[in-house]
Amino acid sequence: MNGRVGEPGSTVTVADVALPLGGLAIATAAWWALVAASDVPPYLLPPPDAVAAVILGNPGLFVRNAAATAEKVAIGGGVGIAAGFALAVSISRLQWLRRAVYPYLVTVRVLPKIAVAPLLLIYIGTGMTTAVVFIGLIAFFPMVLSTAAGFERVPAEQRDLLRSVDAGPLDAFLRLELPYAVPDLFAGLKQSVTLAVIGAVVAEWIVADSGLGFLVLLASENVQVDLMLAALAVLVALGLALYGLIVVAQRRLVWTSTAG
Amino acid sequence: MIEIDGVTVTFDDLRAVETVDLTVDDGEFLTVVGPSGCGKTTLLRTVGGLQEPTSGSVRVNGRTTDAARANAEIGYVFQRHTLLPWKSAVENVAFLREMAGKPADREGARRLLREVGLEGFESARPAALSGGMKQRVAIARAIHLGAEILLMDEPFGELDEITRERLGVEIRRLWRAERKTVVFVTHSVPEAVFLADRCVVMESDPGRIVETFDVDLPRPRTDEAYSSDAFQEQVAAVRSVLHEDRSNAARAGSTLTEP
Repeated sequence: MNGRVGEPGSTVTVADVALPLGGLAIATAAWWALVAASDVPPYLLPPPDAVAAVILGNPGLFVRNAAATAEKVAIGGGVGIAAGFALAVSISRLQWLRRAVYPYLVTVRVLPKIAVAPLLLIYIGTGMTTAVVFIGLIAFFPMVLSTAAGFERVPAEQRDLLRSVDAGPLDAFLRLELPYAVPDLFAGLKQSVTLAVIGAVVAEWIVADSGLGFLVLLASENVQVDLMLAALAVLVALGLALYGLIVVAQRRLVWTSTAG
Repeated sequence: MIEIDGVTVTFDDLRAVETVDLTVDDGEFLTVVGPSGCGKTTLLRTVGGLQEPTSGSVRVNGRTTDAARANAEIGYVFQRHTLLPWKSAVENVAFLREMAGKPADREGARRLLREVGLEGFESARPAALSGGMKQRVAIARAIHLGAEILLMDEPFGELDEITRERLGVEIRRLWRAERKTVVFVTHSVPEAVFLADRCVVMESDPGRIVETFDVDLPRPRTDEAYSSDAFQEQVAAVRSVLHEDRSNAARAGSTLTEP
């Protein structure tokens, strides 16, 4: 049970907040100084205030596209995560299924899912379905592998203990197996959501109708670096917000312990 | 009452338990002692319904072990404490009873924690408890289940000797106070003698009963018994049985000699 100490439930000090903020301030100042001191034209490297002005000048554009990206992440990521969880539960109960499927889960994980995208374009076409399938595929693997590993943590004697009073399978699942798996489940969830955002951007480059990825692509074609940087900044904010949601849920649900 | 009738358990070629006949009376404290691999844990698991015998039968209170499990008539204590790390001590005590589908009894759970000397630790998580304290919680949990029969599989196996001796006195006191029937498996001869009304000695390959001792020590048993001559004699008697059964080859291989 390593790597969980100090994650949820730990106290936050002033330095924990001040130091990263200070780092951000210094990086922004350095960006500013670089633009002021060098001969790089502003259309190639606009100063940070210009990027901020782009966002504030047309907030609707960014909100609309951020919402489009978030929708793809929510649907595609949701499908992939739900499927991953369901398969993890299934292979934890059915040994034959585990033996039939697990080697391929581990093998296919090394395949860069981006390489599958052109195939999906041929099979499903250029629409929302392609984006959802693609994002779901990317989010699926970390979820199923982490959750399956979590279910393996239940000690054999704990199962014996429940058997000794003839506890029902639903009780055993909800009260014993799921709590044991929940730290790994969240580790998988964090990876899946992060990858789902990447998947959404890639999907928007391929499907190219809306979203922050589409905005980046559009800005690139018109060499609008300020718009591009603005879209990237909003993308970072979106990714952090989704990650933050999971961390909040984790703090509420995950038990902490240094020793099992 | 536990009736073990001709129980044999084989794993592939290994005869873990070979035709064991044994009856444990209501209210008895029975210990089973023997070296690793003598089948004592396997035998206990057949009584708890966790291991199906290859042949023979086990009846618990006149019924099958499956029926006994379904009625939560058996409280199991394992060598590892098997506490849930995310639950507090009192929640862990209550857990087994909940899983057995019996009505919750929070006050009873608190009372038992006090009984095992853990007053003030009700809300402590297992990680904050010592090895001995965790086993106390596990024992309280098994008693709280409300079963008449307690099966204990080397519950003090991972504890130091001083803690073991103290818990030995306490488990005897709890057994009397709570009126339980106990089958206690151990590889420690002194522990087996101190705790027992009756002590069964097992040997390995195949796992079988080689001798049964009626332990004659003062009741109630206090820590004074540990240093009594009667205790030492009975420990020696059990030891001699365990050693006489050794093969000639093992004895010849021993390099220990009297000074």
